[in-house]
Amino acid sequence: MSKIQTFSSFVKRLIIVIIGLLITLTLLFSLLAYFVPSVKELQNILLSSIGNPSLMLNYLDQKGFGLNSLFFKVAVFPGFTWAALIAAEIIWFERKFLAKMQMRVGPLYAGKIAGLLQPIADVVKLVFKEIITPSSSDKWFFLSIPIIITSIAAALLAVLPVSEGWIIMRSDVSVLIIFAIVGFVPIAVLLGGWASNSKYPFIGALRGLHQMIAFEIPMLISTLGVVLVTGTLDLVNIVYTQSNVWFILLMPIGAFVFFSCMIIELERIPFDLPEAESEIASGYLTEYTSMAFGNIQLAIYIRFYAMAGIFTTMFLGGWYGPQILPNGFEIANQVIWFTIKTLLVMILAIVLRGVNPRVRIDLLLRMGWSSLLILSFANLFLVILILQTELIQMVGV
Amino acid sequence: MSKLSLSVGPQHPGSGHMRIILTLSGDYIIEAIPDPGYVHRGEEKLAEYRTYIQNIPHLERPVLLDATGAIFPYILAVEDLMNIIVPERAQFIRVIMAELNRIISHLYYMAIYGIFMGHSTMFMWPVGDREVFIDLANNIAGQRVSYAFLVPGGVRNDMPEIVKERAEKACNYFEKHLIEYERIFMNNPLFEKRTKGVGILSKQDAIRLGVVGPTLRASGVKSDVRKDDTYSVYDQLDFEIPVSNACDSWSRAWIHMEEMRQSMSIIRQCLKRIPAGPVKLNLKQIKVPPGESFSRVEAARGTLSYYLISDGGKVPYRVRIMTPSFRNLITIPNIMKGVMLADMPPTYWGIDYWPVEADR
Amino acid sequence: MLETSNTESTLIEREQKLAADLKSRFDDVLEITIKPKRIKIKVKLEKLLDTANYINNNLGFDHSTSVSGVDYPNSKEFEVVYHLSTYGREDIRDIVIALSTRISRDEPKTQSLISIWPSVEYSERETFEMFGIIFVGHPKLEKLLLPEDWNDIPPLRKDFKPPGR
Repeated sequence: MSKIQTFSSFVKRLIIVIIGLLITLTLLFSLLAYFVPSVKELQNILLSSIGNPSLMLNYLDQKGFGLNSLFFKVAVFPGFTWAALIAAEIIWFERKFLAKMQMRVGPLYAGKIAGLLQPIADVVKLVFKEIITPSSSDKWFFLSIPIIITSIAAALLAVLPVSEGWIIMRSDVSVLIIFAIVGFVPIAVLLGGWASNSKYPFIGALRGLHQMIAFEIPMLISTLGVVLVTGTLDLVNIVYTQSNVWFILLMPIGAFVFFSCMIIELERIPFDLPEAESEIASGYLTEYTSMAFGNIQLAIYIRFYAMAGIFTTMFLGGWYGPQILPNGFEIANQVIWFTIKTLLVMILAIVLRGVNPRVRIDLLLRMGWSSLLILSFANLFLVILILQTELIQMVGV
Repeated sequence: MSKLSLSVGPQHPGSGHMRIILTLSGDYIIEAIPDPGYVHRGEEKLAEYRTYIQNIPHLERPVLLDATGAIFPYILAVEDLMNIIVPERAQFIRVIMAELNRIISHLYYMAIYGIFMGHSTMFMWPVGDREVFIDLANNIAGQRVSYAFLVPGGVRNDMPEIVKERAEKACNYFEKHLIEYERIFMNNPLFEKRTKGVGILSKQDAIRLGVVGPTLRASGVKSDVRKDDTYSVYDQLDFEIPVSNACDSWSRAWIHMEEMRQSMSIIRQCLKRIPAGPVKLNLKQIKVPPGESFSRVEAARGTLSYYLISDGGKVPYRVRIMTPSFRNLITIPNIMKGVMLADMPPTYWGIDYWPVEADR
Repeated sequence: MLETSNTESTLIEREQKLAADLKSRFDDVLEITIKPKRIKIKVKLEKLLDTANYINNNLGFDHSTSVSGVDYPNSKEFEVVYHLSTYGREDIRDIVIALSTRISRDEPKTQSLISIWPSVEYSERETFEMFGIIFVGHPKLEKLLLPEDWNDIPPLRKDFKPPGR
C-alpha cells in the first residue's frame, strides 16, 4: 500500500480499515452463530439485554462470571482491580502528605480537585514511552521480571480476608502461604539485578537480597506468637479469635517487630537501599523503563497494601468494628472497617518517610540480626508465659 | 575479596559534574582518584580578552552560588593596584551582600547533603528557606543569583530603605527555623550514625594539604580570612569562628549551620552601623597602572584568592583564580579510604566541593 | 637588593624582618619586593629548592595557596610563582610570600616542590597542562582539566588565540 503522506490520506486509510473490520467481523460472527450454539445464545442475550439488563446479569451468573463467582473475586473485588485502585490512591495520598510535611503543595493539576488523578496520569504517560532493553542483557529474562514481581504481589492478595465471605481462597495454611510468597521476593529482585548485566543494578540487587533475607526471620517469629495463641494457621480463624480483644494489646512487642519488618521488606524509605537513587542510580530498577518500570511500581504498592492488610488481620482484629451502617449492611460494614484499619497502617508507614535519611546496609543488617531477633524471641517467650498462666481465658479469647 | 573498579561518573545522581574513580573491595573504598575537568571553560584565558569591567559578570560565573564571594577578591585586587579608597557605605553594603551569599550557599549545601543521604525533607526545607534570602538579595542588587553588583570603587546602586525591615523579618524567621533544623536534621540518630566518624581528616593532614574553609575548621584549625587577613570593614564587626575537633562529616555540616547564625548576626550589625553617604567613586574610567596584586577573601566555601598582573593596558595581563574547591580537591584520596560506598556522596559533598568552581 | 614601597615603616615591620632573615641566608640570588602583608621573592632556578626548604622549615610557611604560571613572550621567559601562607604561626597569618623563578620559554623545566608542600600537587599539574612547563619530580604529571584529546599548544600561552578572537 502507498505511504501515508498527508492527513487526508490518513483519514482515508482509517475509514477503509474500520469498514473492512466491520464487514469481516459481522460475517465471522454470523457464520459462527450458525455453527456454534453458545455464540447463538450470546447473540440473543446481547440483543435482548438492551431492553432488560438483568438478563445479562443472570447470563453471566450462569456462565460463571457473575457477582459471586471466583472470577469476580479475583479480578474485581477484593482482587486485582480493588487493590490497584487502592494502590493508585495511596500513591496520591503519599505524595500529597509528604508535600505538606515539606512546605510544598504536591500534585495539584491532574483531576479537578487537588490532583487526585495524578497516579493515573503517570501510568498513562508510562504506557506511551519506549521499552528499552540493554543490549548486553538477557532479553527475555530481563522482560519477564516485571511479570514475576507483579504476580507475586497479586498472589499475596489471594489470602487476604476483606470480610467474612469475601476472600478469594480460604485455606488451612494461609500463614504459610504468605511466608512462602514473601520469601520469593528476594529471588526476583536478585534476578532483576542480574539480568540487567550492569554494575549498579548488581549492587542494588545484592543489597536487596541481604536486606530481605535478614528480616524474614523476625517476621516469622513474631507471627509465631499469634499462631500459638490462636492455635491455627488459617487467617479467617485468626480474625474470629480477635472478636473480643485485638492481639496488638496482648503482644505489643510482636506487633512492633512485625510492623518494622514489614516496612523493611517492602523497601520503603528510609529502608530503600536496593533502589537508593543518589548512591547507586536506582539500584536494580536502573535499566527498567516505561511499562516494565510501571508494572514494578504498581506491584510494590499492591504488596504494600497486601502486607498492611495482613498486619491488620493478625494484630488489629481484621474486619471487626462497631456497626456504623444500618442493619442489613453487615458485609459492607466489615469491608469499611477493614479498609479503614489498613489505610491507617499505611499512613503510619508514610509518616516515617518524611523524617529520616536513608539507613546504611551494615547498620540495617546489624539491627536485623541482633536487636529485632532478640525482641521477637522475647515476644515469643512472653506469649508462652501468658498461655501457661491462663490469662487468655480471662480476656475471653 | 576481589576488587571492583567503579566509575562514579558525570552521569550519576550522586556525583555532580565530575568523576571519581573508585576501587572497591566488597563495600569499602580502598582508593579514590578524582577526575575533574568536565566543566572547564577557560575562564582565566578568557579574562585576558575582556576589560576590567567586562570581567566582572564573567568571573562571577564559576562560583555562581556565592557570586559576591567570587568577585570580591578581584575587586579588591583591582582597587589595590589603582590605589583608591572605597566609601564607607559601599563597604557595608558589600559585607551585607557577602554574608547573604554565605547563607544562600550554605543552605544549598544542606539541601544537597540531604539528597545524598536520601532525605527528601532535608532537601525541601533549606531550598524553600533559601528563597527568602534570594529575595532579599534581589531587593538589594536587582538580580536573584548573579548580580554583577560590585565594581571597583564601590557598588553599582544604593540599597533601598525597605531592605532593613525585610532583612530583620527574614533573620527572625530563619533563626527560629534553624532550631528546627538542628532537631530534625542534625540530631537525627540515623544522620548521626551515618556521618559521625566518617571521612576523617586529621589536623596535621589539613594543615599539610593546605585545606580551606569549613573543612579546615572542622579539623580543629581556627582560621578564617575575615579574622586572619582582614579586609573591608570586618575588623569593626563582632563575630565568632565556629571550630570543631571532630574532623568528620557531621562536624562539617554542623559548622555550616553555625556559620549561618554568625552571618545573620553580622547582617544585623551592618544594618545598624551603616552610615549615609555615596556608594561609589565617580571614576571616569578604570585605568589600572602596571603591577601585581594578590588578594584573598573568605567566600562561603573557603578562601578564594586572585593573583592579578596588569601591564597598564585595557585588559588584565594575567588573572589567576584559586578557588576553595580546587584546593580541597586534594583531600578526596585521603578521606575516602575505608568509607563505605553508600557514604561516598555525603563524604565528598561534605568537603563542599563544587565542580564548576574547581574547573573554572 | 632590598626595595621598599613608600609606606610607613611600622606597617611593614614584620615583613622587613622576614626579608632580612632570608637575605642573611641567601645573599645574592634573591630580589625582594615588600608591600603591606605581601612579600615577593625572585630567586634563581638553582636555588629554588633550598629557598623553599628554608621558608618551610625555618620561617614556618607550611602550605602553598596557589601555583601560577605567567607567560612573558617578549623576554622569552615563563615565570612560575608559588604563593605561600601559614596556619601554624598565628602572628604572621596574614602575610603571603610569593616565591617566583624565571625559566626559559623554549625549554621550560623546573623543580617540583611537592616534596616540601604536598598541597601543590594539582596546581602544578594544571600549570603543566596550561603552559607546558615540566615539573621534575612530580609523581603524576598528566592532564587534569583539559580533555584527553587536546592536540593544540598549551592554552594559556600568549600565542594561543581562543576560537573567535
